[in-house]
Amino acid sequence: MLSYHQKRFLIVDDFSDFRSSVRSMLRELGVKDVDTADTGEQALRMCSQKAYDFILQDFHLGDGKKNGQQVLEDLMVDKLISHESVFVMVTAETSQAMVLSALEHEPDAYLTKPFNRAGLAQRLERLVQRKTLLKPILQALDRGKPIEVLNACIALCKQDIRYSPLCLRYRADALRDLNQNEALERLYDGIIADRPLPWAFAGLGKLLFKRGQVLQAKGVYEKALKVFPMMPALYDGMADVLVSEGDTKAAQRVLEEAVRISPLAVRRQAQLGKLAMTNEDFDTASKAYRQAVAQGAQSRFKDAESNLGLAHALISKGSEKGLDTRTRLEINTTLSAVAKENPSDPGLQIRARLMKATSMLINDAETAEKLTEQAIQRLDGMENFMSAEAALLVAKQLQMLGQPEAGASMLKNCAEIYGDDPTVMKGIARLTDDPNILNAGNVAADLNRIGVRIYKTGNLVEARTVFRKALALQPKNISIALNLAQSLLHGTDASVPSAELDECQTCLKMVGLMPDTDVRSARYQKLKSKAFGG
Amino acid sequence: MNQDDPALDFSTVIASTVHDMKNSLALVMQAHNQWLARFPDPVRQSPEQGVIEFEFAHLNAVLVQLLGLYKLGVNQMPLQPAYHELDDFIEAQLACHQDVFVSRSIMATYEVDPLSPLGFFDRELIATVLGNCINNAIRYARHAVLISASDVAGQLVITVNDDGEGYSAEMLERQADYVQGINHTTGSTGLGLYFAGRIAALHQRNGVGGRTEISNGGPLGGAVFSLYLP
Repeated sequence: MLSYHQKRFLIVDDFSDFRSSVRSMLRELGVKDVDTADTGEQALRMCSQKAYDFILQDFHLGDGKKNGQQVLEDLMVDKLISHESVFVMVTAETSQAMVLSALEHEPDAYLTKPFNRAGLAQRLERLVQRKTLLKPILQALDRGKPIEVLNACIALCKQDIRYSPLCLRYRADALRDLNQNEALERLYDGIIADRPLPWAFAGLGKLLFKRGQVLQAKGVYEKALKVFPMMPALYDGMADVLVSEGDTKAAQRVLEEAVRISPLAVRRQAQLGKLAMTNEDFDTASKAYRQAVAQGAQSRFKDAESNLGLAHALISKGSEKGLDTRTRLEINTTLSAVAKENPSDPGLQIRARLMKATSMLINDAETAEKLTEQAIQRLDGMENFMSAEAALLVAKQLQMLGQPEAGASMLKNCAEIYGDDPTVMKGIARLTDDPNILNAGNVAADLNRIGVRIYKTGNLVEARTVFRKALALQPKNISIALNLAQSLLHGTDASVPSAELDECQTCLKMVGLMPDTDVRSARYQKLKSKAFGG
Repeated sequence: MNQDDPALDFSTVIASTVHDMKNSLALVMQAHNQWLARFPDPVRQSPEQGVIEFEFAHLNAVLVQLLGLYKLGVNQMPLQPAYHELDDFIEAQLACHQDVFVSRSIMATYEVDPLSPLGFFDRELIATVLGNCINNAIRYARHAVLISASDVAGQLVITVNDDGEGYSAEMLERQADYVQGINHTTGSTGLGLYFAGRIAALHQRNGVGGRTEISNGGPLGGAVFSLYLP
């Protein structure tokens, strides 16, 4: 038997009887250091103060509280536990919704209540043995070094080939983090040909989609859903494929199915809300956003966008006669939360006010006007960029609220920042036919394209000149600024001060004003760390 | 009676009642164990205590099986297959029954083929099947139960063998009927075999499904239950 007397244990359960019963079992096993917590929030606080070797976490900690899976997600993402620690999910029964929601962060084991001392001791002992076997891999994971994870996997398989299936997931995740796409695809293909594992299907679909092989990704998801029709992650992937094919209606149906199977998923509900809004299915949208808001309250995936989405869906659902009292109350609650919880985010403050003003337009024009004025004031002082989507809605609402000039200035700004994106320009065209806004960016966009062509020939000096000209015409355009920054950085020693470096840093500071949800964020971060030295 | 009325869907009523019963049972078992801890060893190891332990485990297994059958019926049994270490898996099932083995003086052992230490299956579902089998074996065993896991032509075979009387000739002859759920006369055993057969069949590889088989003999001479997983 293992020696536990120097190991640190944490029991998380809302029943004090259960906590004391497990505590006495652990005592009998020789454990001396046992802490207990009755909520996930408390458990997280304790884990940030003390490194536990074992956590016995009850899954269901009561309604309106974080559940065990959310606690595990927080612990992993915030790196509050080592990969070497043992995390056991204790459950009254293993329900499928619970297991299915755990595809990304799986506990080391599930232990079903009731269990006896022998059962507990056996699980713990075996888990320790497995962690010992995998120790080099787990330590490399803690260090965040995927290449070392791969090497540790190779070493373990060499030492004992029988255990190679235990390394598969670690190898796949490491290859993914290293962007070794070809090797990763071969690995997934090999796994699926031998034994279809749900995560391998999900991973392969995601990889193919990321590389633009949309049709192949679709094929993988279709095949996978036949084998694992209860796996929500596969539906998520399928919905992404359908959206990129432009079939938002089918994508919505797929996500509705996933939500039916596994309703506990904040991000999926929010995504469904967004799709339903696109499809003008305001009923589904408001239901999905309502779920996203309610579930998000305890989750790390809490997102003000869901509150705004809920309000928007409810307003869109309303009739010409205005909104009923209950709906107005719900809109008020959900928007007040946004304003209260994001005091230092001017974009959210503005959007929440305009959304509320829009909801009051018919029933209380006076308050609506006051809120609109407040929003416009804040808008003038706002430095950061809104996402194109948010900016377009703000412009539309300003128009509805009798502020066409403020709306037009919003659209002009949006065209300058995102004008190189045809989808954004299409959205702008739906709200205005002013040629000054619609065509203002044309020359700059042409120059940007020419600049990219020249950059590819390797003529850096000429490329920079063209990008500079383009940026002078549209000083807030993110794409042009990123291109100029990249061309300036190319062939420039970033450790020695120079005019090029200065100019590049200025460009990137401007790009930094974009929201971090922008798809170009990764590219920006990369350039930033080069230009500013990490 | 209106058949369209969802409130009268009897299987759902049963499922939610079973759920309730299972939770109550868990609390009773837990309270019983805490209460028992206050008594001296002779009381704790009395034959009555053995009966209580065994019937607790049996009741729990039956309820889990009933919930499983309900989920099979409404097609809510998702397969979550993964690679598992067989010695760990079997040991965990034996540990659940540890107290009963002690009180009945049954030697429970297991052996795993060292060349294939891993199995590919849904841990939860196969654990339910194996738990039922062990429970059953305890009922009929005299002194010993043996669980083995081996690789036969690429299939994982888990067998549960005891040193009891073995299955009746009629059961052996009609085992295919039990698996199809036709025979209703013998109660739990038939249902258990049916459940095991369905769970095994959910495990498929290249068009080959899992299956079960019962026979007599084996190293211990009694009943042999075999679970084949492709």
